[in-house]
Amino acid sequence: MILEVDAVGKQFGALAALTRVSLSVAPGQVFSVIGPNGAGKSTLFNVISGLHAPSTGHVRFAGEDITGLPPEQVNRRGLAKTFQITNVFPEISVLDNVRVAAQSRAPESGRLRSLWRRPDVDDTVLRLLEAFGLGRRADELAENLSHGEQRYLEICLALATAPRLLLLDEPTAGMTPGETRDATALIRRIVVERGLTLLLIEHDMSVVMGISDRVAVLHFGEKIAEGTPEEIRHDPRVIEAYLGGVDD
Amino acid sequence: MSKPPTWRVALVFALLAAVPFVPGVSRYHLLLAFDALLFGAIAMSLDLLIGYTGLVSFGHAAFYGLGAYATAVLLERGVLSVWACLAFALVVVGLYALVVSYFATARRGIYFALLTLIFAEVVYTFFRYTQTFGGSDGIQGLPDASVWPGVLIDTPTRKYYLVLAYLLGAWVVCRRVVTSHFGRVLVAIRENEDRARFLGYNVQRYKMGACMISALLTGLGGAIYPIRAAFATPDLMVWTESGEFIISVMIGGLGTLVGPVIGGAFFTLLRDKVSSVVDWYFLVIGAVLVVIVLFMPRGLLGLRRLVRLRRGRLPA
Amino acid sequence: MDYLVAVLLPQLLHGLVFGAALGLLALGLTVIFGLLGVMNFAHGELFMLGAYAGLGVIGATGSFWLALLAAPLLVGMVAAVTEIATLRPIYHREPLYGLILTFGLALVFREGVRQLWGGDMRRILPPFPGSTPLLGMLYPDYRLFLLAASAVVLLAIWLFFTRTRAGIIVRAAVQDAEMLDGLGVNVRRVFTLTFAASGALAALAGLLLAPVFTVYPQMGVEMILLAFIVVILGGMGSLGGSVAAAFIIGVAQSLFSLWMNPQRVAIAIFGIMIIVLIVRPRGLYGREGVLE
Repeated sequence: MILEVDAVGKQFGALAALTRVSLSVAPGQVFSVIGPNGAGKSTLFNVISGLHAPSTGHVRFAGEDITGLPPEQVNRRGLAKTFQITNVFPEISVLDNVRVAAQSRAPESGRLRSLWRRPDVDDTVLRLLEAFGLGRRADELAENLSHGEQRYLEICLALATAPRLLLLDEPTAGMTPGETRDATALIRRIVVERGLTLLLIEHDMSVVMGISDRVAVLHFGEKIAEGTPEEIRHDPRVIEAYLGGVDD
Repeated sequence: MSKPPTWRVALVFALLAAVPFVPGVSRYHLLLAFDALLFGAIAMSLDLLIGYTGLVSFGHAAFYGLGAYATAVLLERGVLSVWACLAFALVVVGLYALVVSYFATARRGIYFALLTLIFAEVVYTFFRYTQTFGGSDGIQGLPDASVWPGVLIDTPTRKYYLVLAYLLGAWVVCRRVVTSHFGRVLVAIRENEDRARFLGYNVQRYKMGACMISALLTGLGGAIYPIRAAFATPDLMVWTESGEFIISVMIGGLGTLVGPVIGGAFFTLLRDKVSSVVDWYFLVIGAVLVVIVLFMPRGLLGLRRLVRLRRGRLPA
Repeated sequence: MDYLVAVLLPQLLHGLVFGAALGLLALGLTVIFGLLGVMNFAHGELFMLGAYAGLGVIGATGSFWLALLAAPLLVGMVAAVTEIATLRPIYHREPLYGLILTFGLALVFREGVRQLWGGDMRRILPPFPGSTPLLGMLYPDYRLFLLAASAVVLLAIWLFFTRTRAGIIVRAAVQDAEMLDGLGVNVRRVFTLTFAASGALAALAGLLLAPVFTVYPQMGVEMILLAFIVVILGGMGSLGGSVAAAFIIGVAQSLFSLWMNPQRVAIAIFGIMIIVLIVRPRGLYGREGVLE
């Protein structure tokens, strides 16, 4: 298991955002987390990626306990997250965006040497941009990209840090059905090519059913079901949770 | 960001070096030029923080003033070597900056502004209201510093060249930082602090680095001041002084390095003319700051800079 | 025992009143920052303007009570105009612009007042000068009134934030301003009203405290510095935390003044802040992630 979420709970004051959520992700798997709005999916990602320390429980990555580590350290251990609302560096170019992401792994980074040496990562960066069709937009300011292109840029930023596990928070949010299809296929291909493990939050059922190996369902902060896409599709508890809540 | 080619910079410095030889240049002019260049250099080092890292320091006057007192304390005791003064200032300001930057960068950007202000106020209170360093009078009647035993920095011309050397050194350091990988990360932090963290950067460490470099450069500038003025007083650390540094950066243009130098120089010359009308001087400063933010955020130079608009709070 | 009652207790009560005023300021700062995204460096000046507006009204009408009504309204209007004219255009810009702009505004207000009224200390006389025997001590009536007034104001604010729809929305929006978009409220108006209201409250505090302190253009500066310390200590994620921290600082300031001169008091308060920051870097009540 590359990721183990062990009875994780998160309280915000009186609000219990997560209650004893456990799941395990095997290397190379595509694991989706679904659930109605407010189910705690993003909170779960925030706990795994280090933004919040869990109130209870542990998170283990590749055997190492990463509970409570800050985001930069979690990222350095091989776990990269994208944001639900596009969170890039708006006023610099697409190339510079991904370049600064890739450079965080260079040996000069974080040391005094970085004052006079610039790590050369351009090849890696350009190849990554090409893979997502952003090669020709390399010199454009990130804020000038279309919504779909910015979502791709989000993923590029995360991938540039050479992760083993990728956390994608609603990667197709705001995309048209056509864009969503393309994005899903692209993500799947990249994941397979690079041998990545993927943990996915998605609202679009076609995406979830299409590429997931396993699916977990959250509702009011608790995991109510887990299984293969087929099992989940027919699980009465899941159907009830969605019918009872407001969803797409 | 426009990158002036090296020969252009060299030309500017050559011209500046020739100023004392211009016919009609008096003692008064040279000392005024000294002030202008000093202020400009400090504004430039502040730009590293505000323009490139997005951190507004409201307490930069404390770094400046501490540097000045460091020199004053040595000169008072007969240690005349300018090198000793500079080294001592680096140590003193460095220690203070280490403490301030540690606390000020531990949380979100906004706390940086608050904490730098509070720390500077405490430092000012200490120097102004206790008698340890002369209270409100400060340290007066200082002797001239020396470059070499027997070679005193006593004429306006020599003082002018001292500040010119300082400006050159500060410029080189700032350019190095800004074009380095370190500088790129600073910009990323300014653009989106959270994202930088999630990409593996220890944001606090970078912010501290930027703050230390800016503080040390400013402290060196402060260290030079008593060599020109023969005194160091708490007035150097008043928070309004921090405001004047900020206004210099804003006039010149954030994130351009060159802009703040010109802005600082311009502001000094302006202040020299207006200083007699002390009464509504600060009113004008405040108004100018408001006007610049509203109508001329790019400053007088309007140079293209890397920082700009972000995050919306109101719907379009 | 005598010392306790004669010296410590009044000072403690005074500290509570001072803390209540600080709490009003800190609340204003927190709400404005959470909602509008601007750290209002000019907030101390709104406090100061309250006292001077009071001076003006009292000068014109001779009535302190009328001033208590009119001054906050006047300052609230000034605040509203300021928000519309200077803050609205820059909300979409980076936070650093808001900082620099409000810093400039503070200078304008402060020096403007100095030009209009001069830099001398002024006095506003308490509306009722008598004293009441309390626990064997003569306690000024006005101070008792202040205690009551602070309690009333804080209670009213608490009720607003917990019992009214508007208050609950504002409180939630402070944590997450984007949620306002989905509620169908007129965001522009909410922002202006919020800014005006916090300005009016600051002005009220300024006028109420004026008879106890002197009135001078710099009076807002000292308050805002302490308010910043309160905000740093209380964290900006919790409104209750701000008020609690304000009382701690207010009482500390008051008690320390018994034993140290003003400069040492300032350094002592600063020392408290540093110690808290070392032990609890996010402040006393800060929560991770949100506004931290």
